Amino acid sequence: MLTYILRRVALALSVILATLVSTFLLFFAGPSDPAQAMCPETRCNPARLEQITKSLGLDKPLSQQFLEYFKGLFVGRDFTYAGDTVHCGAPCLGYSFSTRQSVNTELFTRFPNTVVLALMAAVVFVTVGVTLGIIAAIRRGTPADRGIIGSSQTFGAIPYYVLALLVALYPVVLWNILPQYAPISAGVGPYFLGMLAPALILGLYTSTSYTRYTRNSMLETLSMDYIRTARSKGIPERTVLVKHGFRAAMSPIVTILGLDIAALLTGTLITEQIFGVDGIGRRTLAAFRAQDLPVIMGSVLIGAAVVVIMNLVVDIAYSFIDPRVRLQ
Amino acid sequence: MNALPEPGAEALIEATDEEFVEQTERNEDLGAPAHKDVRTGRSPGRVAWDRLKKDKVAIFCSIIIIFFILVAIFAPLLYSLQAVDPITGAKADPYTVHTELVDFNGLPTVGASSAHWLGVEPRLGRDLFARWAVGARPSLVIGFIAAGVSTILGVTLGLIAGYAGGWADRIITWITDFFLSLPILLLVIAIVPIAQKSIAGGADLTAEETSSIRFWVLIVILFVFGWMGLARLVRGEVKSLREREFVQAARAIGVPTRQILFKEVLPNLVGPIIVSASIAVPAYITYEATLSYLGVGLVEPTASWGRTIADAQNLFATYPLWLWPSVIGLSLLVLALSLLGDSIRDAFDPSSRR
Repeated sequence: MLTYILRRVALALSVILATLVSTFLLFFAGPSDPAQAMCPETRCNPARLEQITKSLGLDKPLSQQFLEYFKGLFVGRDFTYAGDTVHCGAPCLGYSFSTRQSVNTELFTRFPNTVVLALMAAVVFVTVGVTLGIIAAIRRGTPADRGIIGSSQTFGAIPYYVLALLVALYPVVLWNILPQYAPISAGVGPYFLGMLAPALILGLYTSTSYTRYTRNSMLETLSMDYIRTARSKGIPERTVLVKHGFRAAMSPIVTILGLDIAALLTGTLITEQIFGVDGIGRRTLAAFRAQDLPVIMGSVLIGAAVVVIMNLVVDIAYSFIDPRVRLQ
Repeated sequence: MNALPEPGAEALIEATDEEFVEQTERNEDLGAPAHKDVRTGRSPGRVAWDRLKKDKVAIFCSIIIIFFILVAIFAPLLYSLQAVDPITGAKADPYTVHTELVDFNGLPTVGASSAHWLGVEPRLGRDLFARWAVGARPSLVIGFIAAGVSTILGVTLGLIAGYAGGWADRIITWITDFFLSLPILLLVIAIVPIAQKSIAGGADLTAEETSSIRFWVLIVILFVFGWMGLARLVRGEVKSLREREFVQAARAIGVPTRQILFKEVLPNLVGPIIVSASIAVPAYITYEATLSYLGVGLVEPTASWGRTIADAQNLFATYPLWLWPSVIGLSLLVLALSLLGDSIRDAFDPSSRR
C-alpha cells in the first residue's frame, strides 16, 4: 500500500514539475513580449521599453529567471521595484505585470468565487443527475426512461458555451428573470442569487453525464444476485432499492465526482467569462489579453496542481475501497 | 471497415460475431455449430453498419450532417442565388464591406430581403447569409481533420505502448498521464497567440495571413491535446490482445511484427476506433467555436460561426438575426454529429443500448 501511494505521489510531483518547466519555457522563452504590450503606444521609445524590460526582470538570463521563480515558489523571494524591496513569501507566484499586485492576492482573492460556483454547480448536477438516473434505472424500458435518457443525450450534445450564452443573454440580461452576478461586497443574498444562473446552467449541463453514469451503475447493481436474494427474502422493494442497490451503485459515481470537481475548477472559465463572475478563470483570460505572464503562469500552475492533487486523492481513496486497483 | 483478419483471427471474429447476431438469427443458428457458418459470418464492422442503417436517429442525423456538408461545399453557389442588391448594384459575397448599407450608428438600413436573405452585418454591412454559409466550412474542416489526425496519433501511440511494452510503454503512459492532468483549456488559450507569433517571426501580417495561420495552429493544437483518451484505450486493448492465442500463433510462425499489428491486432480494434473518432468530431467543432468565442480561435476576415456568435452577442436584443443563424447552425451540426456518434457506439456495443 505504501509503495503504491509513494509511486502515485512521485508521479503527481513529476507532472507538476513538468507543467512548471514547460509553461515557463512556453511563456518566458516564447516570442511574446510583455514589455512591448505594456509600453504606452503613443509615448513608447526604446529607452522606455528597455526600462520596462529591466523593471520586469526580463533582461536577466532565462536560467536565472527560472531559478528565481522556482526559488520564489518554495522559499519566497525579494522584488525590487523603483528602489523599494518587497518580500514575497512562499509560495510566491510573483507580481502581475499590469496591475503590480501580487499574483497570490490576485488569484487567491478570486479563488473563492470559482469554488462557490463549482460547488453550487456540483450540488445541482449531483442531485439532478443521480435522481434522474435512478428514476430511469428503476423504470427501465418505460417511456419515462426513454424520455430521460433521450433528453439528457440531446441536451448534453448542444455546445455548452452556446447554451450558457443564451441563458446569460435572454433570462438574465434581457428578461431579468434571474439576477445578474453581484460581488460578495454587495451582500451575501445578492451574491448567491447572482451565482444561481451560472451554477444552474453549468450544473444542469454536467448532470446529463451523471444521469447516464447513475443509470448504468444502478442497472448493473440491480442485476446482481444479492439483489435477487434480497427480494426473494421478502424485503420491501423500497429497502432493496435504497439500502442494497443505491449504496453499491454510488461508489463509481463518487470516483467520477472527485475527478469532475477538479475538472470543474478549471472548466468554470467559460461560465465565468459569459456570466461575468469575477473568478480565477476570468482573471486568467484578462491576463492572456494583457500578456501578463506571472498571472498566466500562476493560474496554469494552480489549475494543474488542483487536477493532479484531486486525481491523487481519488486514486488513493479508491485503492482503499477496491483492493484490486493496487495490484496493477 | 470490413477488413477481414487472417485465418488465425477467425475464431475471435466468430466469437464476437455470435454476440452481435440479431435475436432471430441466433435462433436459427442454434442447431448448427458456429464454424460451419463461415460464409454467412459478418465482421463486427458489417454488423454495426447493418444496425446503423436501421437506426432512425442515425439516419436523421446523417441527413442533417450531409446538409451542412453540402452547404459548406456549395456555399458560393448558394449565396450567388441571392438577387442583385439595388443599393450597391452587386451580388452579395461574404467578404466585401458595404458601409452604404448601414446608418451612422452602424445599424443596417436593409433587413432580410431577396438580396440579403438574412440581412447584413451591423457596422460592416457584409451579407449575413453568405457569411453563414461559408462559416460552415472552418467548423467542418477543423472538426474532421483534427479528429482524423488525433485518431491516427492515438492509435499509433497506443499500439506502440501496448505491443512493445517495457520502456516505450512507460514513457508513453507517463506522457499520456501528463497530458491528461494539464489544465488544457488554459494552456490552449495561452499557446494560440504564442504559436501565431513564432510562426510569423516578428513580421507584420495581413489579416488574411493571420487568419490562415490561426486556422492551422488550431488544428494542430486540437490534435496535440486530443489523442490521450484513445491512446489509453488502444493500449489497454492491445495489451490483452497480444496475449491471445491467434496473435501468439502468428508470432510463433514468424509473421513480421508490422503484419501482426495491421492484420491481426488492428482489425479487432476497428469498433472502438471508429466510435472514438465519431465522438471526437463534434467535440473539436465545439472546441473551435468556444476558442473563437473566447477570442483565441479564428479571426477576421474568416467567416466562422463561433466568431459571429461572439460579435453578435453585443447586439443580440436589437439585431437577433445576426446571432441566431450561427447559434442554430452550430448547435444543430454538433447535436447531429454527437447523436450519430452515440448511435455508432450503440451499433458496435449493443449492451449500451437504451
